[in-house]
Amino acid sequence: MNQINPLEVEDLLRTFTGEEIYVHSEATSYVFVRNFKMKLTQAFTAGEGPFRIALRFDEIGWLRMEALTHYELDAEGRLLLAGYDDRGRMNVALHLGKEPFAE
Amino acid sequence: MSTEPRKLLAVFAHPDDESFICGGTLAKYADSGVEITLVSATRGEMGRRMGNPPYLNRETMAAAREQELREACECLGVKHLHFFDIRDKTVEFADPDQLADRIAGFIREVNPDAILTFHEKWGGHPDHCAIGKATIEALARTGLAIALYFISFGDSLAYPEAYGYTQEEIARIDVSRYKKAKLAAFRAHRCQTEIDEWVWLPDRQAMSRFGDHEYFIKGNKEALKLGKADLF
Repeated sequence: MNQINPLEVEDLLRTFTGEEIYVHSEATSYVFVRNFKMKLTQAFTAGEGPFRIALRFDEIGWLRMEALTHYELDAEGRLLLAGYDDRGRMNVALHLGKEPFAE
Repeated sequence: MSTEPRKLLAVFAHPDDESFICGGTLAKYADSGVEITLVSATRGEMGRRMGNPPYLNRETMAAAREQELREACECLGVKHLHFFDIRDKTVEFADPDQLADRIAGFIREVNPDAILTFHEKWGGHPDHCAIGKATIEALARTGLAIALYFISFGDSLAYPEAYGYTQEEIARIDVSRYKKAKLAAFRAHRCQTEIDEWVWLPDRQAMSRFGDHEYFIKGNKEALKLGKADLF
């Protein structure tokens, strides 16, 4: 995982817009949703680090997360974003893939 | 007397339960020739600790923790390892009937002399309680007379009266000679223990954190018939 570069992340998010995608999203201690399928219409990034990201989907949907610090485009072409604290613990995650994530 | 080695079956929820909670006991029995089979319901893939500094993400965690558990099993002498492939944090939502059946299948196949699992109320995590409850049900389904024990954290059961148990209901295993193996297993679970500085101190200092005993609640009459310093 690399420190978020917002311009690069925006470019990567753009490659998922207009498509049916699968999302894994979590606020680690409280909630996770895996293989949420959506038609992504728009993606936004904001902040100067840690970063905020918001997804518009299916005309009426919002998914917004904050506290994101790291990202990676993995070998399977999935965009993995995560927010870690200063001791390596994950607070939040937002993963986008064009195929379902392992169940 | 049979010449078959004694066998122990441990049914837990996450990689590291076996090391952090009862690693000394597993190492001790493995060293005395007991054949140990460990079942981990999940791969701990929803854990929060991602290494320190972090090198894992949610998608790489399952494989990393599986590998760590394999290494920990080598440190402890656990021979056989199986996963139920249930997603971490969802054991309590798995079909209880199917889960009990799967565990019962393992009990019949392994035919152990003793079973370790979590207490269904004092397990400390929903996955722990769920796998404990399913294991109790599984043993009942087999109808086999096998000693059942519930693992416990640290020295909490040194004075079991505080938890409503008598000394007779507790097995206290002396693990003082197996702290080195336990420490090695802690270190094998690297992504989980990097955050704990004491684990990485020189061996002697790190091992001083471990108690001399691990404690088990006797879970059925077969266990209650046995002594207080042994699981067999």
